[in-house]
Amino acid sequence: MAVKERNARGLGSERLREALVGYGFIALPMSFFLLFFIFPIGYAAYISRYDWGIFRGPFVGFDNYRQLYHDTVFWQHAVRNTLVYTAVVVPLQMAIGLSLAVVVNQAIRFRTFFRSAFYFPSLASSAAIVSIATYILASDGLLNSFLGRLGYEHSYAWFARQDTALPAIIGLNAWTTAGTMMLFYLASLQAISTEVYEAAAIDGAGAWRTFWKITFPLLKPGHFFVAVVSIIGALQMFDQSFIVGGTSGGPNYSTMTVVLYLYNRAFSAHFGYAAAIGLVLFVFIFTVTLIQRLLFGKAEVA
Amino acid sequence: MASEGLSSTPEELRSTPPALVVGELSLEGGAAGGTPPTAAAGIPGRERADLFRTILTYTVMFTVAALFFIPFLWSVSTSFRTIADTVQGFSLLPKHWTTVGYHEVFYKYHFGRYTMNSAIIAGAITLTNLFLASIGGYAFARLKFPGREVLFMLVLGTLMIPDQLRLVPIYQMLVNMLPSWLGHVGWQNATFTNRNGVILINLVSAASLFLMRQFFLTIPRDLEEAAKLDGAGYFKTYRRVMLPLAGPALAAVCILTFQGSWNGLFWPAVLLQDEAQRTIPLGLVYFQTIYTTLWPQLMAASVVAILPVLVLFVLFQRYFVAGVAASGVKG
Repeated sequence: MAVKERNARGLGSERLREALVGYGFIALPMSFFLLFFIFPIGYAAYISRYDWGIFRGPFVGFDNYRQLYHDTVFWQHAVRNTLVYTAVVVPLQMAIGLSLAVVVNQAIRFRTFFRSAFYFPSLASSAAIVSIATYILASDGLLNSFLGRLGYEHSYAWFARQDTALPAIIGLNAWTTAGTMMLFYLASLQAISTEVYEAAAIDGAGAWRTFWKITFPLLKPGHFFVAVVSIIGALQMFDQSFIVGGTSGGPNYSTMTVVLYLYNRAFSAHFGYAAAIGLVLFVFIFTVTLIQRLLFGKAEVA
Repeated sequence: MASEGLSSTPEELRSTPPALVVGELSLEGGAAGGTPPTAAAGIPGRERADLFRTILTYTVMFTVAALFFIPFLWSVSTSFRTIADTVQGFSLLPKHWTTVGYHEVFYKYHFGRYTMNSAIIAGAITLTNLFLASIGGYAFARLKFPGREVLFMLVLGTLMIPDQLRLVPIYQMLVNMLPSWLGHVGWQNATFTNRNGVILINLVSAASLFLMRQFFLTIPRDLEEAAKLDGAGYFKTYRRVMLPLAGPALAAVCILTFQGSWNGLFWPAVLLQDEAQRTIPLGLVYFQTIYTTLWPQLMAASVVAILPVLVLFVLFQRYFVAGVAASGVKG
């Protein structure tokens, strides 16, 4: 009896010790997440209710949001450009990513090399990639020289013109991020059983038909996943616009995005206003993520 | 299996990353699902058609791969040119090889310093991530304490908070709040709109912690039990038993964190106001706006920005891929 009791107590204190050590081990990471991730959400909401320049000003309630509602630069340039960018770049990234995935999923030589080659632009520094693109797209750059040989003589500096800057960024990012989408599609393709293909081959279906009638529909969960990842990334586009157009999203707001506008407002000493933009964007992205969760929750995944 | 992401049960999360549930990510091997079975190999003419197809496939592949590589090769080629060479018509290779571009970028345009800043920031963030993610991941994977699952969900939840929302509050915290708190405890005039600030807000990421935890869950418990019988404490078990076994996960965290922070532009652009503190990506941004046509120098700086990641990628490919699911993508 006495022995049993001591054992039970020993076990209890052992459990307590384990719990205490557990809290000790997660103390640093947890306080970091609380301080720099969880707390800032509330703090952003707080700041957004003040006329907050560099320091806290008077309380203004929802004035920042009201002002945002009537802000033409925000709606006509930042939001519009971000939506146009997203609407074009997402299908492009998906199409290129899927094409690459299908090709490198075949039993070919140097398969690993090709996959790596297509994936690498996703890993390289965006600032360096935009620098290289600026050079290639300059008025006397590689692209114009190439187009000149094809008979389309012109001297656009693609990033510097109001009508071509955003399309050029779209093209650039479709190229750099397609490799990541390829990886996701590859994983999704490999989840499809080979028996399905064998059955199709026995039925005499050609490669093209097999792809559109069998592979493409079976990739549905993959399409959802890639689309959402791509949309969330696109809505947060900042680097390329920041480098090409500076903080004002030039030329003439043509590369202004929501995030760049937020940055621009914050560092024009309108922190309260910028916080309101951040929250609106957060709610929007959160909704997209929620929709994804709902769709994914229903999708049966191998 | 149906995944419901953040609302999944702990058991589900243990086996599957919440973000990606569509199989394994890999650059190597994998089922060749797209290849049609060659049951009809005996049909006359079939071999010739196959050969034609193979040649076509490889031609297309190498062309596309070339498209992916040309920009990089072109930048390397230009980085070894003279400025005159960049405007005199086109040649694949430099007419006169020179390292003036690199020399000027490093010594005249301060990229030596920027490289150092990038290395310090990326190095420090990588080290803190390794330590905090592994010790936190060990606790979340192996130690039992009340509230463990809820706290872990909280950690994963931070993946859904975009950096842009954090810009304003974090900037205000680093400029006003934190220095004033530290002032109360006797640390006067602390500033965080510099390297320290960038490091501080990136000490550990949920992706790193998640990766470590998932790996620790796959290690058999026998070894720990043995260590326990030998009277080893939890920290000793973590350091002597778990860490040595976690090589692949530590490598993945190390490489992904380094790559992310080496390339990072957003937080440096927010926090680094002093010219002397700039990182390479930030240096590239300013260099471009000031010296618009110094192409060899700009390309040399770009090569310096890309090279470390390229080397890591060539050496440790599979670790890059292992972490994609947890780390998400850039815009």
